[in-house]
Parts: sequence; structure tokens; C-alpha cells
Amino acid sequence: MSRSRNTAAASPHRHHAFTLALVGNPNSGKTTLFNALTGLRAKTANFAGTTVERKVGRLRLGEQQVVLVDLPGLYSLNSSSPDERLASDVLQGRLAEHPAPDAALVVVDATNLERNLFLVSQLLELDCPVIVALNMMDMARRDGIEIDLEQLRAELGCVVMPVSARSGAGLAELKRELARLVGGAMPESVAHRKPECGNCSGCSFQARYDWTEEISTRVMDAESSRRSAWTEKIDEVVTHPVAGVAVFLMVMMALFALIFWAAKIPMDLIDHLFATVGTGVTALLPDGDLQSMLVNGVIAGVGGILIFLPQICILFFALSLLEDTGYLARAAFVMDKVMRRFGLPGKAFVPMLSAHACAIPAILSARVIENPRDRLVTILITPLMTCSARIPVYAMVTALILPQSPLKAALVFTGAYAIGILTALGCALLFKHTLLPGGTKPLMIELPPYRLPGLRVALLHTLDRAKMFVKQAGTVILVISLALWALSHYPQSAPPAPALALQAQAAQLDQAGDAAQASAARAAANRLTAQYSLQHSFAGQIGHAIEPLIRPLGYDWQIGIGIFSSFAAREVIVSTLAIVYGVGEDTGDTPRTSLYDTLRRAQRTDGSPVFTTATCLSLLVFYILAAQCLSTQVVVRRETNSWKWPLFQIAYMSGLAYVAALLTYQTLRWLGCA
Amino acid sequence: MIDSASTAPALVRLDQLPPNQCAVVRHIAIDDEETQRLKTLGVCLGRRVEIIKRGDPLILRVFGSRLGLAASLARQVQVEVCQPDQCVLRENDRP
Repeated sequence: MSRSRNTAAASPHRHHAFTLALVGNPNSGKTTLFNALTGLRAKTANFAGTTVERKVGRLRLGEQQVVLVDLPGLYSLNSSSPDERLASDVLQGRLAEHPAPDAALVVVDATNLERNLFLVSQLLELDCPVIVALNMMDMARRDGIEIDLEQLRAELGCVVMPVSARSGAGLAELKRELARLVGGAMPESVAHRKPECGNCSGCSFQARYDWTEEISTRVMDAESSRRSAWTEKIDEVVTHPVAGVAVFLMVMMALFALIFWAAKIPMDLIDHLFATVGTGVTALLPDGDLQSMLVNGVIAGVGGILIFLPQICILFFALSLLEDTGYLARAAFVMDKVMRRFGLPGKAFVPMLSAHACAIPAILSARVIENPRDRLVTILITPLMTCSARIPVYAMVTALILPQSPLKAALVFTGAYAIGILTALGCALLFKHTLLPGGTKPLMIELPPYRLPGLRVALLHTLDRAKMFVKQAGTVILVISLALWALSHYPQSAPPAPALALQAQAAQLDQAGDAAQASAARAAANRLTAQYSLQHSFAGQIGHAIEPLIRPLGYDWQIGIGIFSSFAAREVIVSTLAIVYGVGEDTGDTPRTSLYDTLRRAQRTDGSPVFTTATCLSLLVFYILAAQCLSTQVVVRRETNSWKWPLFQIAYMSGLAYVAALLTYQTLRWLGCA
Repeated sequence: MIDSASTAPALVRLDQLPPNQCAVVRHIAIDDEETQRLKTLGVCLGRRVEIIKRGDPLILRVFGSRLGLAASLARQVQVEVCQPDQCVLRENDRP
């Protein structure tokens, strides 16, 4: 059987494209090699029915096209983790959706031959043609490691090509050998020496390691003293229980500052661009449903998605650089002890940090956590972090209650961030003792030698994540944005009498030649119409319907409309409140301060102000904790493969938000802040 | 710690191994998913290990690479300390 397969693989007359699986240990430079071979033409998807990423790229070898499939980084083919089980299934063609590859290209870290050969030994047993790319040859030479390539070829019985994926050295030769393999002119690619370790009694690992160590001793001449001297010096500081945590906090703060500071300009540009496009479309199209749908549904929706892109790109770029240097593994190492107390793995800091930009990429980045239980806990608590969409709401609340004291406002802001993080940790602790018992898996993480990061890998990774965000979140946000537009636009109502009176007044003023007064009157009429129609739309009716439920939290039905509209994105509440309280849409010519002034003057039916300190703080607490971003839940469903967890997430977060807001409002009222 | 040639070599728990002391893995107490993973990372019978940094988690050198490891896992591993003048592994390599 194996013979026929090998012949088929080596035959040039096949109908499907030659598929080459890229396999290798984590930190072996596999991604760098993949990018060097395929460039920008790679696509990322998932293996059918899993959340394991499947990167596919095309490689041109003269006349031939080769499909290169990047498998997850593996230490072995023993099914101890979902990734390894899947990779082993793929290599052996056990997945119905993904046929077995025609050959495997194994990336081996030349600076760590003994360990890397373990995986090679398992692959050689698979009856799949194997080519070894001996990567990081430049580093190995620098570390004083000499490898006898001829000897290694003889020991393994397969082609071994020295490369340096980062610098590009040896890639041309590797491609030439690949072309020979694809063309069917490489008999040595299948005549492997089988290590025959599988049937050893006792520890099967032991026999295999004996094999790898024997080969390494025979082919390698290394002065081990020259290895990793730098790495050890740096690690003395960054893995120190106290200094290490300090370094971690500094790095995270720098990253945080970068996300918010560097993203500001592109975010403002995107905001401005969509506002301009909206104004342009408004001017181009006649007033009506189509214009309103395009401007308030489509353009606002797309703008609402793209506004997050700068932060997401900066975040993933920086994280990729940090990972490439080897620092992320150290950060997970020092944080593990702290996070473990809350039932979270050390690596959970990556999603928890990312969630401060946006929960969606954060949940995607939880894939770095291997253990399914640990990943699930992390995903469940991640949306409690303060994402960028909450910031306009925090800004509104602080401006309402503390207009004159920026210092106190900053304190409230910091407090809001802290509440998010602390609640997340508390919830993780609660889940550890109830829903997901057992705590996290003990830490086991390779600390790779420090290296200079590769810009190319980071850029391609960033591009990949940005595409994934737009694809996964974009469509959902757009649909929700359109649905909410419809709910707040229909049923349509005729302009109210005061608006009509103002229109008539505007017409008179026009005739009298007072254009400025006329346009002011017309703007006032439009504001009244918008306010009236929103109040009488489905959204308005929903606001009225939920008022009994939210009154104990200190909200009226108008705030109810705002909360409801937040399901597209939290920040929408600000513009919704602007309409519902008749300030007009926030187009830039009406400054935010006028919104805040109007909100401060807003009154209940009994004449008391709506936005008291108690109501504002209750609203703040509600927005910190509530699950309002439906696109997050859609991504959670995709990442957990079930509706159970996203529904649970909505339930627990909203329950928590309701109770906390209720306690805040009632306590403050009791204290006399109402 | 006195060892005579006739008695079995004394085993030390990996988390109690002094830093920069070469030792060979002789026994792994339990066999579960975690220790399986440990073995794929190189901490398996007959392999030489060395503690770089003690504590929880500790840092271990195994083969050419460094491994961050929870002490709870290191406790499951028993190692034999190599004597200063001769490494046990080299000795055992003789047929």
C-alpha cells in the first residue's frame, strides 16, 4: 500500500496540485520559511470542524505549482494536544476534507538538532516522502555548531537542505530540490531509514531520543559553552520573580501606550473619511429610505468596523515582534504564578491585553493557549476588559458628572479599567471552583533563545489578523448595524407639528432673505423630526417596553433606546442619546459639549434631572460589565464550536452588569447622590 | 549522601536538584497527559537535564533548549545526579 502511494506521489502526471505539508517544532522558524516560500499569496482558514489554523500558500517551481500547507507547530505526533492530533491526522490522510499531502517538508532548527530530530524520526515512519530543511544554519554557525550534512543525509536517508529562512540563504537550492521531488526524480525522498522505535517496550520516547542523540553526536560538533550566553543573562532579569514582573508591566504599559497613541491618527482619519463619505452620499441622494439606509446603516456600519483596524494592526504587529524575539514565552513564564491563582494560564495575558483594544482579535489570540479548558476560561472572561468601544461611553459619563475636574475624571476612567480586569479575574476564580474545575494545566513552555524579530513575519501576521477581523466581525457588525437602522427607522412617522411649524418659519425667513436664520430653523426642525421618529420607531417602543426593567438602575426609556442600540457597538449609545434628546447627529459641527449640556438638562416627567451622579455611575458600571457586542459572541461561537458558551457568556455578563448597576444606583441614591 | 557501587544510585526529585548540576532522568512517577507532553519536550527516561534556575516555575535545560516548568510537574520526576568527574550517561553508554 505504501509503495503504491509513494509511486503516486512521485509521479509527475497527476491531476491535482502537488501538496506539500510544512511541519516543524514551534520556534523552528517554520512560519518564516513558509512566508519566504509563498509570500503574500497565503490564505488562512481553519481545518474543517476545528479551530486549528490552516495556512495555505502557493509556491512556483518553474513550470510546476505546489500547494504548501502550513501545519501547526509540533514537538511530536503523539496525540497529547489537539494540534498534534490534527497534524498527525492530516499527514496520514485521516481527515475526509483534507487529503494526505504528497510530501512533507520538515523544518529543523539546526541549533537544537537533538530535539528537532524527534519529530523527524516520527515523520520518517509515515510512508510519506520527506525533505528536511535545516533552518537557522547561520545561527548554528554563530553558536559554534558544525553539522556534517552528508553524514546527516546518510543517517536519515532523506534529502537535507541547509537554509536560513530569515536571510534567504539556501532557499534557491531548497526550491531546486523541491522541484526535483515534485517532478518525480527523487528516489531518495522515499528510501528513508526507519528509526523503528514505535514497538520498543517501556518508554517509547526513550528509544526515539536515544536514536536522535546518537545521530546528533555523530553528525554534530558543538562547543556548548558558546550557546545562549546572552539568553541566560537576559533571562536572569526577565524571569526573576520581582524584576521579571516589573519588566513585564513596563513592556505591557509601553504596548498599551503604543496602541492608543499611535492608533489615534489613523482612527481619526478613518472617522473623518466615513463622515465625509456619509455627507457626500447624503448630498448626492434624495432624502428617503435609501439615503438613510446607506448613510446610517451601511456607511456607519462599515466605518464602525474599520475604526478598530488601526489598533488591531498595531497590537498584532507588536505582539508578533515580541513573540519573535522570544519575550512572550518569558512573559507567560513570569505571569503563570499570578494567573494560576485565578485559574488562568500564564499565556492568558495575551488575550487579556489584546481585549483592551477589541475583544474579537483577543478571542482569536486565545489560540496560543493549548489546553481547551484554559482557553475556554480565558475566552469567557476576555470581553470584560475595557475595549475601545467603551471609551466614548466612559468619556460621556465622566464629562457629565465631573465636567470641571479632569483629574477626578481620569481616576474614574482608571477605576473603570480596574473594575473590568478585577471582575474578569474574579469570574475566572469563580469558574475554577464551579463550572470548569481543576485549575489550569501546569506550566510547560519552551524558552527559545532571544533573536532579532523579523519584520516580514510580523507584517504578514498583522495583515492576516486584520483580514480575519474584517471577515469574521465585519459581516456580523454590518448585519447588526443594518438591523438596528431598520428598527430605529421604522415605522416611519410624519414630522411632528412643532417641526412643521419650524419648516414654515424657515420658508418665511428664506423669503425675507435671512438665510442664516432659515437654516438654523431648518436644522432645528430636522432635529425634532429625528427625535420624534426615533422615539416612535420600533427601537423607541423597545425602550418603552424595557423601561420597567431598567428603572431600578436609574434609567428612563430614552437611555433604554441607547442601551438597545449599543448591540451594534457600544459607542453607538452616545450618538443615539444625541438624537433621542434632540441634539442632532454628531456631525462635527455640533460639538460634544452641546450634547453633554443637553443631557445634563434632560428631565424626567416629574421634572427631576435624568443624568444624576447615581444614574451616570450606574450606567458606567453597566457598560463595563454587560455583554453588548453581538459580534464578539459570534466569534466565541466559532472558537468554541457551540452556542452554549456564547449564550452563557451573555447571560453571566449581563446578569452581573444588571446586579452591579442596581447596587450602584440604589446605594448612591440611598447616600443621597440621586 | 554516600553511595557505594553495590547499592542503587540515590535519586533526587527534579525540583530539588541544585542548579547547574547535570543529572539523568531515571523515573517519572505518573503517566498522564502532562507527563506525556513533558516527554515529548525531552524530559524522559535516560535524558540528561540540568536546572538553570530553581523556584516555581523553574527553568530546566534539556538538550539544547530551555524549558519553563511548573514545580508540581518537576516533583514527579526523579533524577540521578552525575558525579563531578564522570557523567552517569557516558558511563551507561558503555555496553
